[in-house]
Amino acid sequence: MAKTGMERLKELKKEIYKCIHCKACRFAYSGEPSRAGIGEFTGKQGTVLYEGMIDACPAGIEYGWEAFWNAGKIWIARSILSGDLEFSDEVRDVIMPCITCGQCSAQCENKIPTVDIIESLRAACIESGVPMIEKHQLVDRLVKELNNPYGGKAEERFKWAKDAGLGKYINNKNAKVGYYVGCTASYRQVEVAVATAKIFEQLGIDFTLIEEEVCCGSPFFRVGAVDTAQELMKKNLEAFKNLDMVYFSCAGCYRTITIDYPKWMAEDEKLPFKTMHAFELVSKLITEGKIEFKPNKELKGKVVTYHDPCHTGRHFALEMEQEMIKNSKNLMFDMRKINKAIDEWFEIPRVILRKLEEDVGIKFTEMYRIKNNSMCCGAGGGVRAGYPDFSLRTASLRCDEANAIKADILTTECPFCWRNLSDANDQYNHGMQVMGVLEMISKYNLLDTSNLK
Amino acid sequence: MSYKLPDDKDLDAMIGIVGKEYATNNKAITASYLSKSVMGLESQIPDIVVRPKYIEEIRKILLYCSAEKIAVSPISAGLSGGFACPTIKPAGVMLDLGRMNRIIEVDTENRYVVVEPGVTIGELWAYMHKNYPEWAPPVPDGAPPASTVMGDAIDRGFSLYTSSVGPQGDNFMCGEIVFPNGDIVRTGSWALPFAKPFYKYGLGPDIWSFLMGSQGTLGVMTKVAVKIYPHPKFKTVVVWGMSNPEDMQNLTLEIGKQEFGIAHNTVMVQGGNYPLVMTRWPKDKVPHDYEFYEQLGISKWWMNWECWAQTQEELDYVVNRINKMAEDFKKNRAKDPDSIKPQELHPKQIASRLKKPNKIAVPYAFWEAGFLFITFYTPWNECAHFAEMYTAAMEKYGFPPVMWIASIERCRQAICMPIICFDSSKQSDLEKVQDMNRETTEYALKQGWLNYRPDPYIHAPLTYSQAGMYWKYLRMMKKTFDPNMIMHPGRLALP
Ligand SMILES: Cc1cc2nc3c(=O)[nH]c(=O)nc-3n(C[C@H](O)[C@H](O)[C@H](O)COP(=O)(O)OP(=O)(O)OC[C@H]3O[C@@H](n4cnc5c(N)ncnc54)[C@H](O)[C@@H]3O)c2cc1C
Ligand code: SF4
Ligand code: SF4
Repeated sequence: MAKTGMERLKELKKEIYKCIHCKACRFAYSGEPSRAGIGEFTGKQGTVLYEGMIDACPAGIEYGWEAFWNAGKIWIARSILSGDLEFSDEVRDVIMPCITCGQCSAQCENKIPTVDIIESLRAACIESGVPMIEKHQLVDRLVKELNNPYGGKAEERFKWAKDAGLGKYINNKNAKVGYYVGCTASYRQVEVAVATAKIFEQLGIDFTLIEEEVCCGSPFFRVGAVDTAQELMKKNLEAFKNLDMVYFSCAGCYRTITIDYPKWMAEDEKLPFKTMHAFELVSKLITEGKIEFKPNKELKGKVVTYHDPCHTGRHFALEMEQEMIKNSKNLMFDMRKINKAIDEWFEIPRVILRKLEEDVGIKFTEMYRIKNNSMCCGAGGGVRAGYPDFSLRTASLRCDEANAIKADILTTECPFCWRNLSDANDQYNHGMQVMGVLEMISKYNLLDTSNLK
Repeated sequence: MSYKLPDDKDLDAMIGIVGKEYATNNKAITASYLSKSVMGLESQIPDIVVRPKYIEEIRKILLYCSAEKIAVSPISAGLSGGFACPTIKPAGVMLDLGRMNRIIEVDTENRYVVVEPGVTIGELWAYMHKNYPEWAPPVPDGAPPASTVMGDAIDRGFSLYTSSVGPQGDNFMCGEIVFPNGDIVRTGSWALPFAKPFYKYGLGPDIWSFLMGSQGTLGVMTKVAVKIYPHPKFKTVVVWGMSNPEDMQNLTLEIGKQEFGIAHNTVMVQGGNYPLVMTRWPKDKVPHDYEFYEQLGISKWWMNWECWAQTQEELDYVVNRINKMAEDFKKNRAKDPDSIKPQELHPKQIASRLKKPNKIAVPYAFWEAGFLFITFYTPWNECAHFAEMYTAAMEKYGFPPVMWIASIERCRQAICMPIICFDSSKQSDLEKVQDMNRETTEYALKQGWLNYRPDPYIHAPLTYSQAGMYWKYLRMMKKTFDPNMIMHPGRLALP
């Protein structure tokens, strides 16, 4: 095993000591109190003024106490390091209901990697002997037994592929390109898996589904069960080691394998393959003029909005920022470049949505909080499993924001966000359709590949 | 003073007053309030945190704690770094007033707004921007949007209008306070049940002014009436650069002394030296040599005049007058005339400087890991002396010589704020900061400079040692409002 949570926390000591408790990290658009917006809207979770800066830490909004907002957690981490506080059930119970959405990190002018700190704090807490909450223990047991947290059988992981006539891609020995499907799309949102695989097929990509694929470990990295997570990491690295490129349709798996694995691997190890999310591929092909979309009567005129999944949006942006800061010799000059790179990153899915607007006739409309200031769907960080009511209320808050711009369809690019937003949409009667962008493309047969040759 | 360590019975009493959801001694929650930065490096974790919503709850809490001799530390948002926390042990009860967050009244004829403690400057700014765009509150210019109007009042901070209209304390008209003896007092014209908060000095001697600057040591403020000012559309920032603080001081004084017509329009007059730009970035990722900043067009020292006017004509007049006076100063009286030059700002730079409130002062922790604002008031024409003394001390102790200086009330006073950027994770750095703090405070007191936002370990004792009579009366008055001395002694070390 590479590192313990406490070792990671100690590595982050200087970052932790940068926090001045300024509380800017509570808000989206924290430096813009007079930002123009869309006004007040009363939704299922109450009234929100979508203007200026706006409370955006789901944990803080839900629980209220300082400890649940990010700054409180950073000072808990500092108190642990300084010996002013010891790990206990009380500590666990305030650091676990955090979605690790990274909204706080995006606001911090001191560039504190808050999610890294919170995850290391959780790992150190569990290592110290404090038991995981019961619901996390349950998924931990399931994944240890079955290699997925949903209790699905290993032999049914690719049932969706067989059912959709895509069985030939299972263990396709010649392919150097893999599709890592992940547990949610394999056992729950199979629409996403089918849509993604069909798009690959339409694009002429010879890909393989790897039968030894197991859970990426995301929930376990998030909740501090790093031993479990690292076991899963080892299995996946072994299973995918001969591939050149691995594609993803799940934001969480993509983030975990691309960002977390290298952090928890030994210093001298490197990820043996390149990674890319399917939406990046589609976006790239649009920019290169290689694919277009067909018009569609059913979708024409529909107001479509896009929810940035934290795992593909902010987490990648923040990682990119940290990496560029690390490599910079003159940050005063390079900051502009960094901000540009971040903005370009967030534009990638929007290239697809704009093209859909142009070719299909949807009306692409942004919500108030987008990109680095996007509001989380409430599913991540072990919160959907551990604190389902809080998780769903957060998703409903996000659906309120989509309702505020009169969206007919709320799209995203993560099956986990999809699941939570969709559940909130049904449970709280938000009255929209929730869909993956690639799912929409596949479901309505929108892809036109005639320029591809 | 000795205080009682609160126990479970005391927690039950707090729960009895505010309800189970709003009082706790949960160790993780109490620790989460901790802060050791910005204005204070030493603070304690509270034993109990209570989040009241109503004045009556506060009254009951104070009466209870007074009877039990439990220390009470109130916070509005808690952004004052170490001094948003108790400074004593046992730390006692912390009152987190964030739930009292109503903007109660806006009166544009009498020009005030009434707010509760939890209203943040970001919220009030946004509220006025949306509903009363012609008016703006005097929010602290550099304070993060999550800080509060009330916290700044009690702190007598420095706001975006202070250079023009006077000390921030003067921007607050009347207040409502709960004292530990259970009395609720309304000050100024508010002492009369039906009066508007239109006159600060109400009935005889003014209690409110006594409470300004009290920083939570005397009672809990539950409402405050704050002046609002016109928020005209015509704004810009004029900057002149120079090589030394003396030229900065003298040119600024000439303009400030005009008072009418020109100085009233310069709402924010603030400047500093080039390390102010440098230390907002990590130490190992930014050039340290002045040549680099010179190439960017940044002078070694500079002064910004943020000008607001009702018409373009009026704005042009003010800008031209400042520029003419600067040219004249350069030609006839400057110590280093060649270095005096206007700094052309890109419209984006102007827009960013005009943005209120902002996060401009947050990233000084990026340099290493933490920072400390140490603030003194001097007569304006002594601020250059202060700057020279302090930057030399910072260099001697191995800290970058970061200095920010602003004018209060058209250069009647200067607020001088060295920013100590250091690595707060290192004990040796903390010790160096305190050694420097002691040395500079001793020097400053000899010049008659006042420490503003003192710390109770160095500034307050050194200052009181030279102002014994004043301290005696402060203590006597505290005893009147707070007979059992339960309100935290805070940064004033009172008692
Ligand atoms: C990065 C940064 C930049 C800053 N720049 C500026 C600036 O430009 N100008 C400026 O003036 N300030 C500045 N400040 C200071 C900041 O504005 C003030 O500290 C802030 O307004 C205080 O508000 P608060 O609610 O956080 O106060 P708190 O920290 O909650 O309280 C301040 C003090 O008042 C007491 N107190 C608070 N509320 C009450 C109450 N209701 N009744 C009785 N006592 C109470 C507390 O015990 C404490 O001692 C800056 C701070 C930071 C962190
Ligand atoms: S994490 Fe950053 S934004 Fe949040 S309180 Fe700390 S310094 Fe401020
Ligand atoms: S990661 Fe998200 S939920 Fe957690 S503290 Fe930060 S903003 Fe709040």
